[in-house]
Amino acid sequence: MTDYTVIIEGLLFIVGEQGLSIEQMAQTLLCSEEEVIKAVDQLAVFYKGYNRGIQCVNYGGQVKLLTAPFIHPYAQQMLSIQKTRQLSQSALETLAIIAYKQPITRVEIEEIRGVGCDIMLRKLQALDLIREFGRSEAPGRPILYEVTQEFMDVFQLMSLDELPKLEQIVSGSSQELFE
Amino acid sequence: MFEITIDQFSGPLDLMLFLIKEKKLDLFNLDISELTSQYQNYITSMHDMNLEIASEYLSELAGLIEYKSKKLLPRDKSQLDADYVEDPKESLVRRLLEYQQFKDITGDLEKRYQIRQQFIGKPLSRKELDDVMPDMLVEGSSYDLIRAMKKVMIRVSLQQPFETKIAARELSVDQRIDMLRKMINRFPASFALEECFADCSDIQLVLITFLAVLDMIRIGELLFTVEGEQIYLIRSTSDDGLYGNY
Repeated sequence: MTDYTVIIEGLLFIVGEQGLSIEQMAQTLLCSEEEVIKAVDQLAVFYKGYNRGIQCVNYGGQVKLLTAPFIHPYAQQMLSIQKTRQLSQSALETLAIIAYKQPITRVEIEEIRGVGCDIMLRKLQALDLIREFGRSEAPGRPILYEVTQEFMDVFQLMSLDELPKLEQIVSGSSQELFE
Repeated sequence: MFEITIDQFSGPLDLMLFLIKEKKLDLFNLDISELTSQYQNYITSMHDMNLEIASEYLSELAGLIEYKSKKLLPRDKSQLDADYVEDPKESLVRRLLEYQQFKDITGDLEKRYQIRQQFIGKPLSRKELDDVMPDMLVEGSSYDLIRAMKKVMIRVSLQQPFETKIAARELSVDQRIDMLRKMINRFPASFALEECFADCSDIQLVLITFLAVLDMIRIGELLFTVEGEQIYLIRSTSDDGLYGNY
């Protein structure tokens, strides 16, 4: 591992689940972003390759250290974690629509879902999964919504491109619908 | 006949998709009359069960019935050409397909969400930042506050031991004053009232601490000042304690 990799490992330990962006790391290390990306990749490969209890992930551009998947049963045991959090079907639908169509107004979401979304949007905002993103030029200048960094984190996404493509889903699901 | 209750559906479109699948209707060649009667039956049966039906369901039902009744009436072709609107059937199918797309993705999202919860991070190393904090301007909404409070609650709950033994600890006000003196020596000259309660694990200790603080103010060991809603305590420099109170 290069020196950068080792330093980044230490820095990531300090910031914990907040994570660091490539840009922040490049500024701290006074090196180019390419070098940081290379070092982060090396770190991620190291953790994976040597089967460590920690993994290095990149969610929405924030690089962070988390426990490896196989640690969870022990964590459950130690911290007596019983329940897992869940998002309702309505919440997931609303999030999916925003993630694919952002920035999007409340009325546009309601048109797709066929139900009022006012309270749901506020809930999702309180969960920090979506945020207001300016206003549309449409009459009444309605508020536009988009997904947040937190959204990228809770769904393990590096970028929104990682979501399945919509066209594929249409063909797949309509087949299923007529089986 | 219907085993799925209305609150299991996330909206009228969800219900329609369910009925289409259940009754094996062809979505691309949709028989709206059939869908309408199925939909109406379902709403009626839910109503009979005294379940609350959201207005959105009724509004879609009205739309379906309107379309169905229009089809039964003889059409004036010239009028139809005059103001062309999208065939409501096409528009309904388009909406159903679009909705179905997003509905299908939710399974994938749900899976990602569950797996992510198994990866655990640690909070920012806070001690190193303490010196930086006072200079930081706090900008934020009530949502930030909710979030921050949630984090605090999580931290508190993690600090709770797995097993707790309950033992009544009898502590006199005088004993508490001695403890507070030691604590306060580590504090800066002035500090917030809350600092005194940092080690209080139960309501009894909070009460005794408060009495102790009052007593210390009385004998002049502490001064206090109120700024807005915050109460600050100041360590009195004079040991004789005669010039105490404000």
